[in-house]
Amino acid sequence: MPPAIIQVESTGQWQRRSVGNDNAPRVPEILQRSGGLRAGVSREVARATGMPEAEVYGVGSFYHLLARPNAEIRVCTGLSCALAGAPRVLVAATQAGLAAEPCSCLAGCDVAPAVLRDRTVIPAVTVADVERAGPDASRLGSDSLGDDQRWLGTIGPERGDPEQLALHLGGAKDLAARAYQRSLALGPEGTIAEIEASGLQGRGGAGFPAHIKWSAVRRQAGTTRYVVLNADEGEPGTFKDREVLMRRPDLVVEGLAIAARALGAEDVYLYLRGEFEIPWRSLEQAIAAFEETRVFDGLRFHFHAGHGAYICGEETALLEALEGRRGMPRLKPPFPVEVGLWGKPTLIHNVETIACVPAILNRGGAWFKNLGRGEAGSKLYCVSGHVTHPGTYELPLGVTLDELVEAAGGYVGTLKAFSPGGASSGFLPASERRRSLGFEALAEAGSMLGSAGVVVLNDTVDMRWAAMQQLRFFEDESCGQCAPCRIGTRYLRVSLERHIDGERAGHSAPALDKVSEAAWQMNEGSICGLGQVAPLPLTTALEHFPEDFAT
Amino acid sequence: MTEDHRITLQGESIAVSPGETILDAAARAGVEIPTLCHDPRLEPAGACRTCLVEIDGWRRLAPACATVAHPGMIVTTENARIDRHRRSLLALYATDHPADRAASEMGAPDQLLAMTERYDAPTDWGTMPPCREGRPDDRNPYIHYEPDTCILCARCTRYCAEVEGVSAITLAGRGSQTTISTVDRLSLLDTTCELCGGCVDVCPTGAMTEKLPLVREQKPERELEKIRTTCNYCGVGCQLDLNVDPEANDGRGAVVKVTSPEPGTTTNDGNLCVKGRFAYDFIDHPDRLTVPLIRGADGALHEASWDDALEAAARGLLGVKARHGPDALGFVSSSRCTVEENYLVQKLARAVFGTNNVHQCAAT
Repeated sequence: MPPAIIQVESTGQWQRRSVGNDNAPRVPEILQRSGGLRAGVSREVARATGMPEAEVYGVGSFYHLLARPNAEIRVCTGLSCALAGAPRVLVAATQAGLAAEPCSCLAGCDVAPAVLRDRTVIPAVTVADVERAGPDASRLGSDSLGDDQRWLGTIGPERGDPEQLALHLGGAKDLAARAYQRSLALGPEGTIAEIEASGLQGRGGAGFPAHIKWSAVRRQAGTTRYVVLNADEGEPGTFKDREVLMRRPDLVVEGLAIAARALGAEDVYLYLRGEFEIPWRSLEQAIAAFEETRVFDGLRFHFHAGHGAYICGEETALLEALEGRRGMPRLKPPFPVEVGLWGKPTLIHNVETIACVPAILNRGGAWFKNLGRGEAGSKLYCVSGHVTHPGTYELPLGVTLDELVEAAGGYVGTLKAFSPGGASSGFLPASERRRSLGFEALAEAGSMLGSAGVVVLNDTVDMRWAAMQQLRFFEDESCGQCAPCRIGTRYLRVSLERHIDGERAGHSAPALDKVSEAAWQMNEGSICGLGQVAPLPLTTALEHFPEDFAT
Repeated sequence: MTEDHRITLQGESIAVSPGETILDAAARAGVEIPTLCHDPRLEPAGACRTCLVEIDGWRRLAPACATVAHPGMIVTTENARIDRHRRSLLALYATDHPADRAASEMGAPDQLLAMTERYDAPTDWGTMPPCREGRPDDRNPYIHYEPDTCILCARCTRYCAEVEGVSAITLAGRGSQTTISTVDRLSLLDTTCELCGGCVDVCPTGAMTEKLPLVREQKPERELEKIRTTCNYCGVGCQLDLNVDPEANDGRGAVVKVTSPEPGTTTNDGNLCVKGRFAYDFIDHPDRLTVPLIRGADGALHEASWDDALEAAARGLLGVKARHGPDALGFVSSSRCTVEENYLVQKLARAVFGTNNVHQCAAT
C-alpha cells in the first residue's frame, strides 16, 4: 500500500505517512528470511503480504544485504580498513574462491580490516587468515584475536574514575535502575529539566540539544508517542556505539526507559544496523536481565534490524526503514518530534546520547555539564588510522587531537591530516591538532564533530587517495532520491578520477574547477545531510592540501 | 480565500487558500516556478529540487511544491541565491543526461533541456557515461524505458501507484544506480501493468516513451499537430489529443500517436487507458469499413449508399417481425456509443419494433 499523505496542522507541511502500524507485514524482514532478493522471491512475498510485487522488489533492491544475497563475505573498504590492507584482503578472498565483495564501513575501524560474514562482523582479518580459511567462508576467523572474537576493541580509560565519566565503558553493568527510579520521582518535567541542565547534545552527528527534542515530543497533543533508538552506526571512522552496546547495554536500556516514561511512550523501537548481530545479542541480554527485575513493566521493547544502508542513520530515513519501505529521507519540516514513526510524535536518539541519560539523572545535570570543556559532558571519541592504539576513549568533550592521540598511545609516523568526525567532516590539516574537538570549535573550522569518528592520517597518505575513498562511500550510500546528491556524489568521484587518470596518462590533468560549484549545489539543494556534506572530503582536501593535487 | 490568508510572493501580497502550496499560489498569481517532478494529480515529492524557493526565517531553501503557503510567509522566487541554485542544479543534471536535443527528443519534448536553456544553465561541466539499468528486452508492444534520459523524478512510479493503483513499476536500486524497474526486471506484460501508458504521459524527459512511433521512425512530438477529440472506445468520453503528421499518407495526414491533455483541463484529467492511448492504428487500417456494404444475390459485399443500406436493413428487420413477431428481434448496442445513442437504440427497439429485447455490451 502506498503511504498516505497527510498535512500536518501545525506546520502545514506535506508528509508521507504510512497507514500501517507494527502489525503490518515488514517487507525487509520477510525478504531476509526468504534468503534475500533472488528471482521470484519478491512475487512470493507480495502474495503473502498483499504488498504490490514491484514495491517489494523496490524495497529489497534498496538494501545491500538483501539486494546482493550471493556474497559470502563482504570486506570493509572504508578509509581506516583500506589503510590497514582491506584491498589486499579482498583480492586474497576472491583468489581463494570466495564470493567476496567490498562494502561500506562496518564500524570496525579500530580492528581493521573488518569483514562481514552473513550478518556477523569478523574483526582484524588478515590476508593470512583468508588464505588459511580457503574457499570455506565458515572457517574464516581472525588469528590475532584468538578465542576472543566478541568484537571488542580497545577502550580508554580502561579503569577510569567514574566521577569523570558519564558512560564508563570499563565499568560493571548496573541493573539497579536507580536513575529510572529517580526520574519517576522527579516526574516528566523534572526529568526534562535535568536533561536541559546537563546541556546534553545529540551524539549521533548533529549535536542538537537533547532537551528540545524531549520537550517537543512531550508538548504534542497526540497521546501515542514513540521512542526510537538509532543504532545504525555506519559513519566511516565511527564505532563507539558498538562499544556502548557491547559493554554497557544497561545504560542504553535504562536511558530509553527514562525517556519513554518522561514522554508518555509505551513502545520503544530499537533499530540496529543489520551488521550488528553481535551488539544485538548484548542488548537483548540486557533487556532480558531487566525483565527479570520487572522494573520496566509496562514498556515494550521492539527490535528491528537494518539491511545494509548507511542513509538509515538519518532519522527520517530510519523511520521509513522501520515502516518497511525504501530508506529515503523525508522532507523536513515536519520533524519526527511532531510527525515520526507511523505519523506519531517520536523521540529518536543515538546510542551514546541515550546512554548518557542514566548518569545525568543519578549525578545531576550540573555534574554532567562540568565534565566537558566549553561544551557539556564526557564524550566517546573513536580514533583509528595512524595511531598506536586505535579505540574508543571517553574524554572531556572538547579535547584536542593531540590529547586524544596521546591517550591512544601516540601517532604512527608524522601527522598530516585528520577527519575529526567521520567521512562527513572532511579533512583538517595537522596545524589544527590543537583545536578543540567540540561541536562549536570544529564548526568554526568548516568541519564538524559529527559522530566523533577521528581518523588520523600520516604523511604517507596521498590526500587524493583519501578523498577518493570517502567519495566512493557517499556515492554508494546516497539514497538516490534527490538529484543534487544522486548526481553530485558521482560527479565528484568521476571528476577526481579523471584528474588522477589524466595525470597518470601524462596529459595535463583535467581541472577540478567545477567541484566547488557542484559542492555548493549539493549543500544547498540536497534533501538531507548526506548530500549536504558529501563534498567535504574533496573540497577540504583541495583547500588544505593543494600540493597533493598539483600536477 | 480570505483577507487574512495572504502571503508575500516576490514582493507582491497575494491571497492564498488554506492548505494551498506555494507552487499553486504562485501559479495563480502568474509567478513562474520551474518544476520537473510535480504533477497536480500526485502527492508532492520534492525530489527534483528545481522548485526550491526562499522563505524568510528559513535557513534552507524549501520546495514550493511541498510547502504550504502559510499566512504571513514572505516567499522569494527570484534572487541571486535561487538563480545560482537553479543554474548549478541544472548543470549537474546536464552531466548525467544526453545533451543532443535531436537524440534525446525522439518522442516527447524534453522539459529538462528546455529548462536548461530557459535558465541559461552551464553545459560545460562535462558528461558522465550512462549508469542506469534499463529493460531493453521488455517485449511489451507499447512502452519503452530509456534509462539514460531518466532523471528519477519518480512521477511514473508515483502515478502508477497513486492514480492507477497498479504499482507495476518502482524505484529500484540505490544512489547513482537508482533506476525504474518492474519486479525482477520482468517485461511489463508479466506484471500487474495494465499498459495505460500513464508513465509515458507524466514523464518530463521522454525517458518513458511510446514504442510504436520510435520503431516506425515517426517525427518527434514537437513536429506533430495536436487535435483534441473524444475517445470513441467507450462512453466515458475521455478527451485525448491525436498527434497528426500532416505530411504522411501523401499529404492526407496520419495519426502518429495519442497524447493526454494537460491534467486539470478535461474530465478525464489527462488519464487514458490502453485502448485510448495506444489503439489508434485502426484509423488507417485496410480492414476498416469506411462505406456501407450490402451483400448481393451473388453472396459478395458491394459498396452502397447510406440510404440504400438503411433501406435494406429496415426491410430485413420488418420482414423478421412480420414473419416471427417483434420478440424475434433483439438489439445489442455498443459501449462505444454515447448515452444518447444508446437511448436511441432502445427507443428504436421499443417504439419502432415493439420489443424489449435490447441490451448494451457494457451493461453486464
